[in-house]
Amino acid sequence: MNLSHFFSSLPGLYATQAFFHSLVAGAVVEIAIVSFRIASPFVRQRLLLIAIVFPVFSFPLYQLADPARGSVYFRMGALFDSSRLINTEFPEPVPLGLGLLLIFLVSTIVFLAQELIPILRHTFASRKSGPPVEVVEDGDPAVREALEALPVDKPETHILEDEDPVIFSSTGKKPSIFLSSGLLKTLSVGELQAALAHEIAHIIRSRRPFLLPVFFLRIAMFFNPFVLVEFRRSVQEDEKICDEMAASFTKKPLELAGALRKLYLGAGPSPDARPGKSVKTADRIEEYSHRLNIEGRISRLEGGPATDPGGEWHVFLLTLGVVIVINYFVV
Amino acid sequence: MPRKFPNYLLFAAGVALLLGGLKLAGWLPMLAQQDLLRQYNTVEDVKAELGIREIYVPSYFPQNLSWPPSAVLAQGKPFPALIMEFGQVERPSAGLVISQSLSDTFRSDGKIRFEDLKEKVRYPLKGRDSTLEVGTGAGGGPCARISWKEGIYHMTVTARSTPFELIKVAESMLR
Repeated sequence: MNLSHFFSSLPGLYATQAFFHSLVAGAVVEIAIVSFRIASPFVRQRLLLIAIVFPVFSFPLYQLADPARGSVYFRMGALFDSSRLINTEFPEPVPLGLGLLLIFLVSTIVFLAQELIPILRHTFASRKSGPPVEVVEDGDPAVREALEALPVDKPETHILEDEDPVIFSSTGKKPSIFLSSGLLKTLSVGELQAALAHEIAHIIRSRRPFLLPVFFLRIAMFFNPFVLVEFRRSVQEDEKICDEMAASFTKKPLELAGALRKLYLGAGPSPDARPGKSVKTADRIEEYSHRLNIEGRISRLEGGPATDPGGEWHVFLLTLGVVIVINYFVV
Repeated sequence: MPRKFPNYLLFAAGVALLLGGLKLAGWLPMLAQQDLLRQYNTVEDVKAELGIREIYVPSYFPQNLSWPPSAVLAQGKPFPALIMEFGQVERPSAGLVISQSLSDTFRSDGKIRFEDLKEKVRYPLKGRDSTLEVGTGAGGGPCARISWKEGIYHMTVTARSTPFELIKVAESMLR
């Protein structure tokens, strides 16, 4: 199949314009976050949503509103005509469109390998094996003490026999928190309370799931690297939202910062990342970005609550409006 | 404390920078590659620069249209294509648009648009199988379009005229 045929077909036009629309939307969102000094993770996540969801619908809606948008006359007068870039041969005779196809391909592989397949595997595995085996149920005095002071409904807690410090929650009809015996040895009661409060925040947020429908829309953008990055940033903002909720439950943000430091930074780089062992660059980058993210969360908690001047909806609508107008002229 | 004026100013400056970047990114390929879609002064320039040898031009020309073409757009990559646009004598808008392209995905609509497409029929154009569309354009005036395959080229002729006048123009392009 000729490359230009693909890029002028409906799937090709959709993929190309979604790619550039998400790039523009991501840039405008970033400009809004910086210009208006948006610190609240709630608002940041809402803004990031524009860059994830908008490109899913932008091309068909624009075409519906103006069928002549695809004509050469519109393209000649447009702010940015992707077909020019795609058809530029650099180096001759290789069109840049081939590079764009490669980007789509790599993004698809990353999406499948890092998101879809692990999620499906986890779903089938947990259905088969059921919940992890526990040793004590609601029996640990430290857990009871930590939960008692929290001003929220307490979920079930299950302690797993594991020396590694692990904590996670399961949502659904019967939400539970699973923590390891290793975690109980690592954290103080205050830090344990903060970690439990963070998991409770996840359970509370799961009652009105925000990221799940966004993920289903995001699947339609499996080929789009910008949507991949913005969705991951959105997930990180979700962690920050739960940090804020946990800090408001316990009134002790520094305890949560301490717990994060002990759980994720205290041990230094993971054993696999130590010098002398051959570690893939991708793993190193992932480890590094994970550490950066945790350090960001810790400094947020240590810096006190974020003060946003308000008017979030105003900023959201302004950003969305600018994204809609600019992208109309990006074909 | 509400958002302040400097925040909006910074946002506007950021957006302006983005617009400039997009415009530049759209313009750079034109600088790097000469045979992308662009405007030419004459049909002869297209022949000379893009090497499109066979260009179909009508020999019958209605009196309400002005010669030479008011605009000539052409490209060599990703496939050869050409648009000739002819203005109307008494009005500033285009009265006839002729498009010839190696690909059927090349869309030359936009200058003359149908407001209301009334009929779409197959029409034998000097032995070629063509599609004739008839309707009204902007302002309620007559509008017609005919398209067919001529050798390797996809041809489309659109005019602010009756279908009879359009067919005469299209037939005069063929030997």
